[in-house]
Amino acid sequence: MASTDPLALDCRPDELLDAVHALLERAWAAHPEVGEVDRMMIVTAVGEIAANVVEHGATATVASLSVAVDDDGVRVELWDDGDPLPADTVTSATMPDDPLAESGRGIALARDAMDELTYRRDGERNHWSMARRR
Amino acid sequence: MTELGTETRDGIAVYSIQGRLDLVAAPNLKSLIDTTVKGGLIRGVVDLSGADFIDSSGLGAVIGGLKAAREAGGDLRIAGATGQVDHALKLMKLDRVFGRYSTVDEALDGFD
Repeated sequence: MASTDPLALDCRPDELLDAVHALLERAWAAHPEVGEVDRMMIVTAVGEIAANVVEHGATATVASLSVAVDDDGVRVELWDDGDPLPADTVTSATMPDDPLAESGRGIALARDAMDELTYRRDGERNHWSMARRR
Repeated sequence: MTELGTETRDGIAVYSIQGRLDLVAAPNLKSLIDTTVKGGLIRGVVDLSGADFIDSSGLGAVIGGLKAAREAGGDLRIAGATGQVDHALKLMKLDRVFGRYSTVDEALDGFD
């Protein structure tokens, strides 16, 4: 079983969106076997969670990101040191009824795109974990 | 950095995006469309051929632009969505809300 060291970085929240795209591009370069649909789903989901951190994490000073690819699939973890979010942030997210709603889709979208998405509070940090199986 | 641009073709606004249409760029596109519609260009095409990524904020901006255009008696179409952008439109179930075209020319053609 080929397991790989995670690709990881720390950054300021205002750098996070750029960091997500750069880190995922590095992950795909290192793992060309990850398929196109998986890549699109993963960048969509991680982008949404990262945007959520940037938008709602006014108190955050540092974010950490890691990507791990192995035979089972891809796992992405995201931490920030901002204020806690509601514990049911992921489980309570739903798509708006109105197809022309201009906001409110992000977490539901990320959850639909991944096989696993969890939010929890780890000590002084918010911790998002998401995975997509091959 | 995302680049936004507008041009007018046959009295129709064409909005172009280079790069990511995301949380950061979305408000700029929304206000660009709002200003252009208020200025009288109520028909528009969003050219997504240069966009390599879209998130729910970017989609929100395009939806907001659609509403503004329709409220003013016009419409907003999407052209050139590929890759993750096309994928995200479908994931967000918006592939049926907009008139979607492969090219700007096709989107302009037949606009009332």
